[in-house]
Amino acid sequence: MRPKSLFSAALFSLLMTFAIGSAQAAVTGKALFEGAAPAAEKIKVDADPKCKMMHPAGLEASSVIVNSNGTLKNVFVYVKEGAQGKFETPKESVVFDQVGCEYKPKVFGIQVNQTLEILNSDDTLHNVHSLPTQSQGFNLGMPIKGMKLKKSFSKPEVMVKIKCEVHPWMAAYAGVLDHPFYSVTDDEGKFEIKNLPPGNYVLEAWHEKYGAQTQNMTVAEGEQETSFTFKP
Amino acid sequence: MRSLHLYSRLVAAATFVLIIAGGLVTSTGSGLSVPDWPLSYGKFFPPMIGGIRFEHTHRVIAAGVGLLTLFLLFYLLRAEKRSWVKWLGGLAVAAVLVQAILGALTVKYLLPMPISVLHACLAQSFFSLIAAIALFTSPEWLTTERISVEDAPKLKRLAVLTVGFIFIQLILGALVRHSGNMKAVSAHIVVGFLVVLHALLLNGRISQADGIREKLTGHSLFLGSLALAQIFMGLGSFIYTHRLEPSEVPRLAEVLFTTGHQSTGALILVTCVLLTLRLFRLTAHD
Repeated sequence: MRPKSLFSAALFSLLMTFAIGSAQAAVTGKALFEGAAPAAEKIKVDADPKCKMMHPAGLEASSVIVNSNGTLKNVFVYVKEGAQGKFETPKESVVFDQVGCEYKPKVFGIQVNQTLEILNSDDTLHNVHSLPTQSQGFNLGMPIKGMKLKKSFSKPEVMVKIKCEVHPWMAAYAGVLDHPFYSVTDDEGKFEIKNLPPGNYVLEAWHEKYGAQTQNMTVAEGEQETSFTFKP
Repeated sequence: MRSLHLYSRLVAAATFVLIIAGGLVTSTGSGLSVPDWPLSYGKFFPPMIGGIRFEHTHRVIAAGVGLLTLFLLFYLLRAEKRSWVKWLGGLAVAAVLVQAILGALTVKYLLPMPISVLHACLAQSFFSLIAAIALFTSPEWLTTERISVEDAPKLKRLAVLTVGFIFIQLILGALVRHSGNMKAVSAHIVVGFLVVLHALLLNGRISQADGIREKLTGHSLFLGSLALAQIFMGLGSFIYTHRLEPSEVPRLAEVLFTTGHQSTGALILVTCVLLTLRLFRLTAHD
């Protein structure tokens, strides 16, 4: 091969590598629910007069929320296998609030060592007890309204349960990952995983009550749709 | 001496209340509702809401039993002549201290299973010890004449074996409660039947043993009845914890069954320990 052709080939390869490396995809979709939506369990909150004041008729259990369009809320969708490289820990915190004697958000994703900012917006006391199996757990007392604490998880783990033993109905789940490719289904059952490099992946969708299911996916540049179907 | 005996019985009764309170903490999942120790949210009396009601009440009763036990030791040192009974009082105080340390460790290390199991087993062993002190200071223990009973060694062996099975059952029960391990559940069911079988067998043998029948039949009947009631409590606990869908908050029936099962277990252990001690005290040496 002549030097000129060799140079052109090398340049072409370099450009292609750059183009592929910077190409990004998004996986969007829905968590569908098949069958009749289960009746939500009624929870009495009389054990704490301040919770009772906020919810005189009690609370509805939030472990299964079937949206009006037949989709499922609070499904954690993430790349289980295939994410390559090292990803920076985001500087911004994930805010996790205790408000109205409930956790908000109920299900969320967080990266390893990313700050979890825990708030107590209630005029009552809570304890925040995390139950990871890979990282160090914590149990924090938060007796004052407006109190803020910061914590993080040192190892990936899907999912880490967080609960309040003062108010036993309060439970939340954190998906701790070493990459940013995750999403939680919203009020329309939608999820969106952005900035994913094209490639082959295993996607998992996890639900508190209906467990986890996986899908193999070849992701090309652009937006791709998929769905997960959960049954009671 | 009678007042010492009555006081020992009071401490034993308070210990049983403490065991029920501890059972309620586990059954309601309130063990870590107070994240600090020895204070509760930095206070002697935190707001008594939700799980704190169970955990803090347990701590207060535990402190009360600790003080009662310390006073029992002073009472024994002052009023009791037998040095071995005084040593048992000392052992009880040591058990209280160890139990308090285990309680603190469960809070600090977020309910590690081995510590929780040890805490549960020591609680019931302590209950047996206090009940034994009450027996050793009772008029019956101090004044009863020994009776010659046919096959007494066999009867004593059966009683000791039954206590042994009950203690194994206590460890298995604590493992079931604090780990939920299915192998432990299976072993707990098998040993449970062995306990019931031996309790009924002991009851039958005592009711046929001339000389001690009149003195011990009521006691052994109580043991047999508790063992039978425990099957019902165990079945209820199993259905609620392993067969029904878990609920968002502990159901009242679930709390009652599991706490009742654990507390009846404690009563069975103490009843059998006391029955065995009485059997040894009443029967003549061969």
